[in-house]
Amino acid sequence: MTLKEEFFARGKLADCPIHDLHGHMGPFFGGLLHDTDPADMVAAMARAGVHLVVFCHHDALFNSSIGNRVNIEAVRRFPDRLRAWCGLNPNFPDVLEQDVASFDTHADVYAGFKMLSDYHLISITDARYASAWTHADQRNLPVLLHTWGGSPYDGPEPIRTVAERYPHAQILLGHSCHGEWDKAIQLAKDFPAISLDLCAVMDERGILERFVDELGAERIFFGTDIPWFNHHYYIGAVLGSGISDDDCRKIFYQNARRILHLSL
Amino acid sequence: MEFFDGNVAMGLPFNGGYQPAETADELLREMDNRGIQKALVWHCAQTNNFPGDGNRLLAEGIAGRERLWGCWTILPPVTGEVITPDFFAAMKRDRIAVLRAFPERHRFLLNRMVFGRFLDSAAERKIPLLLSLEKQSVSWRDVYQFLQEFPTVTCVLCDVGIWSAERYTWPLLESCPNVYLETSLVSLQQGGLEAGVRKFGARRFLFGTGFPERYPEAAMLQLLHADIPDADKKAVASGNLEHLLSQVRL
Repeated sequence: MTLKEEFFARGKLADCPIHDLHGHMGPFFGGLLHDTDPADMVAAMARAGVHLVVFCHHDALFNSSIGNRVNIEAVRRFPDRLRAWCGLNPNFPDVLEQDVASFDTHADVYAGFKMLSDYHLISITDARYASAWTHADQRNLPVLLHTWGGSPYDGPEPIRTVAERYPHAQILLGHSCHGEWDKAIQLAKDFPAISLDLCAVMDERGILERFVDELGAERIFFGTDIPWFNHHYYIGAVLGSGISDDDCRKIFYQNARRILHLSL
Repeated sequence: MEFFDGNVAMGLPFNGGYQPAETADELLREMDNRGIQKALVWHCAQTNNFPGDGNRLLAEGIAGRERLWGCWTILPPVTGEVITPDFFAAMKRDRIAVLRAFPERHRFLLNRMVFGRFLDSAAERKIPLLLSLEKQSVSWRDVYQFLQEFPTVTCVLCDVGIWSAERYTWPLLESCPNVYLETSLVSLQQGGLEAGVRKFGARRFLFGTGFPERYPEAAMLQLLHADIPDADKKAVASGNLEHLLSQVRL
């Protein structure tokens, strides 16, 4: 049976453990979300055979009075299923500096940093992010960026700037410069530490196919914005793209395990 | 499980698109490859340029294909461009069961002043009207206004947006018993279909894929493994749309 046939028949596969590198958690101002608390999210993951979600709680990004504490608490509750992105909001530089300074003490919690510059309205090149970029650059850490085509904050041009400035940081282009797909591909060609993310990409046919044709599947990561987008929907979309089963496996879990240094 | 796709287009999008199905036979091959048995089809030419051309191409395309039902796109009756005195008879002749409207794209207002008698007649005949929230069609504000003016029209809202739309859709499902949601983007939302089915019942949801813009396998896999009873899955997958079409009187 093909991977697609197996997923359609069973809904989840033990030998294809999905790793989702772009998740969130908690309610959100812009819409009703479901399965927003850690236990519900982990239960939803189980339905689709999702082994691991690396997430950043909405409060860590939008409510600095709460901040990354909720990320840490959730991972400590479900250490086998969750890891967190340390969320950064440069509008509160003191908090950001504390988050960076305490990053290493939460090595069991964090996979890397998360920047949401389009919402915070501060470019990823801004000096207020410098300590985080330096920290990531020195340790080859992943940094998940929200990226969007045309954005002056986290579009292709500022991405190019930070990729040149911090060549050892592993930069994941969340949403792959949405809409400026060719520029995202070019960035990945120009910088070996840049990878593409499928979150908010898979509701449009043809983009993933273009990524794989141009780059191969090794630097494409599965991300869903869970609890925004449904895992089965995204799995079905990847399977429906017609890329090979080997490439699907790279995207579903092999690439993630490599960048997170998890044993295969 | 039998899938009846309520939101699929044939024809060539004017902006190219990705591997569309130009003809009905190509569309049927795509459906067969994915395990979709039936489809309610519209034609890209209905929005590319003049809807009348698209309506004609659709009718010609689906003629003799028993697995396909058609949607025609309407314009204001007074202009006589699309809606003619024999319109409903022509729908029956050409296996057209559903209407679509794209007010933004085609520059008209979807309201009682423009469509009063025509849509009252469509409502009596139980002809569904599909409104897309994409494709330069209508805004949510337009939808709410329209449903206040035409509460008896069977209205299917499709392409409800990729970001959670429940703050828009749930008040409509609660207040308007003739409103249904097509699932190609409801299924995209984590827990969206399950929560909607639990709150409003499975009969309010109609399976759709959004092909060729979206991957049919996405909504299919989500529905197949959704956390709802199997009977509800079957209703959403095909039974609800079958029922709506069985009510149409042309």
